[in-house]
Amino acid sequence: MTIERIDIGLCIGCGTCVESCPMDVIRMDDKTKKAIIKYPEDCQLCKLCEIDCPQNAIYISPEKVSPYLTSWG
Amino acid sequence: MTDQNNPETVIETDVLVIGGGFAGCFAAVKAREQGVDVTLVSKGNIGRSGMSPFPHGTMAVPPERTDKIEELKDQAHVGGEYINNRTWTERVIKESYARFQDLVSWGQPFLKDEKGDFVKPMQGNQEQQGRLWALEDGPGSWAKSLKKQPQKMGVHILEKIMIVDLIKQDGKIIGAVGITRNSFDLYVIKAKATVLCVGSGGFKPVGGWPMGDVTADGHIMAYKAGAEITGKEFEDFHNGMIRRTGGIWLSNISPMTNAEGNSVPGFGFGLNADLEAHAGRAPLYRGKDEVFSGVALGLSVHTAEGIWPVDEDCSSGVPGLYAAGDSCATMAVGAAYSMGGTGTCNASVTGARAGTAAAKYAKQTVQQTVDGQELSRLKDSILMPAKRKGGFSPNWVTQLLKNAMMPYYILRIKHGQRLQPTLELVEFMRDQICPKLYARDPHELRLAHETNNMIINAEMKMRASLFRTESRGTHYREDYPRRVDPDWLAWVMIKQVNGKMTVFKKPIPQEWWPDLTIPYEKRYPATVG
Repeated sequence: MTIERIDIGLCIGCGTCVESCPMDVIRMDDKTKKAIIKYPEDCQLCKLCEIDCPQNAIYISPEKVSPYLTSWG
Repeated sequence: MTDQNNPETVIETDVLVIGGGFAGCFAAVKAREQGVDVTLVSKGNIGRSGMSPFPHGTMAVPPERTDKIEELKDQAHVGGEYINNRTWTERVIKESYARFQDLVSWGQPFLKDEKGDFVKPMQGNQEQQGRLWALEDGPGSWAKSLKKQPQKMGVHILEKIMIVDLIKQDGKIIGAVGITRNSFDLYVIKAKATVLCVGSGGFKPVGGWPMGDVTADGHIMAYKAGAEITGKEFEDFHNGMIRRTGGIWLSNISPMTNAEGNSVPGFGFGLNADLEAHAGRAPLYRGKDEVFSGVALGLSVHTAEGIWPVDEDCSSGVPGLYAAGDSCATMAVGAAYSMGGTGTCNASVTGARAGTAAAKYAKQTVQQTVDGQELSRLKDSILMPAKRKGGFSPNWVTQLLKNAMMPYYILRIKHGQRLQPTLELVEFMRDQICPKLYARDPHELRLAHETNNMIINAEMKMRASLFRTESRGTHYREDYPRRVDPDWLAWVMIKQVNGKMTVFKKPIPQEWWPDLTIPYEKRYPATVG
């Protein structure tokens, strides 16, 4: 459950997700001019990028569980 | 003032506002209304960082609803277990509607009824009617007004710049130094007055309330500059719930079912879930799809943690430095979150007050020249993690800190026998690990400074929790389970003295004491369990 992929076919390189991410997870790729997941380990699952993306190009996995810590377990 | 290796951008402004959520935007707009030059800087993006993107609405009591005002004040006194600051409780409630109207005038859409009146309560709850106002487009839509209004007013906006340290000269704050995302170049911002609006701090929880970028930066900068800090022993109750279908829902205040199939009452300061886990009856469920994950945030109660405001202007006590929102501990709600929706309206109210006061101060102040030697010292200290060839990565150190802070038995169900060794572990990290943090790129330099701040915050939380030898509100000590009146009708204060963290008690005014002849159980109706 972290940001898993940005669909390059759908991404129009508008940079909205870069502006939305509070954690600096997403950057623009200088070569492709599209968004890339640069620091996935810092994703906090707030979903602001997914909410803001005008192309619905961002996929946040509901299946994969990241090894986050819990208070008990 | 430039240097070949790390050139810096130098900016001059009258009022520097650090942080772009509710408090920061209100501070910037209200300072600008005073006619001064204002610069608003955020380590993320305005309206899209900190905790401000996520509330469903805000609290605001129409002035004519005097019944509501009195009801809320009583709720804050009893629910906050008598250590709320009554002056600030009243200010926040009474000024809430004016700030709500500001948000409306800035273009923030709130839900209306058929007649076009803002009457729809946030969750349809009778108790909340007439005070909680919901967003039309739901959480996430705050950016619509929070960023646009400062822009419209001509506030200079700097985004993706993390302010790492304040510049203190001749006892005054005269600006701040920040780092960027794309290079190791620095920003030096000279300001006549500075307002800290960067929220409070947690330990980068994943799976609870999204607040991974709120790392006590403001509290630590102000602490190092000589301000008093309070409220570090309390805990927020939003300790998280995971929907099995994915996504996050929050709150542990609703009734739950434990692993044995028995019902567990909600609330209990959010500690009932932890007590069930402590007794070996986790996991806890609500319905089939929702599991309480118990992700402790490390955040204290909104308004009840941070820089102590020395006056009605939210001054930090250090000339030139103000604080607002969750950076400022107005103590409007006390030892537990006794007025839902106060986080946002407290931020708006204090932001407006601090911004106005900072602008007035700036008008009477002359821009100072920054001493070259002091600036070099700051630059060296800020860039140290980037200059190291090796050491420890910020993410690894953060993980160590989470391991220490996250288990329920440290910040939620507390005991001196666990707090003391954890404090010693945190001191080891402060002295032996932090100086060896290294950053391979500018992204990691930000993480390194966040990690440093979180470790000092952890030390504050351990010291404050050890110092308050009683239980009150969300501060629960197994070894001191009862409230102790009047000894602990007091705030726990933290201040740096001769380079050392010192903790002391500040009694609340005696006229705010509860009636001590009322039996304990009636004085404290909402005890844990």
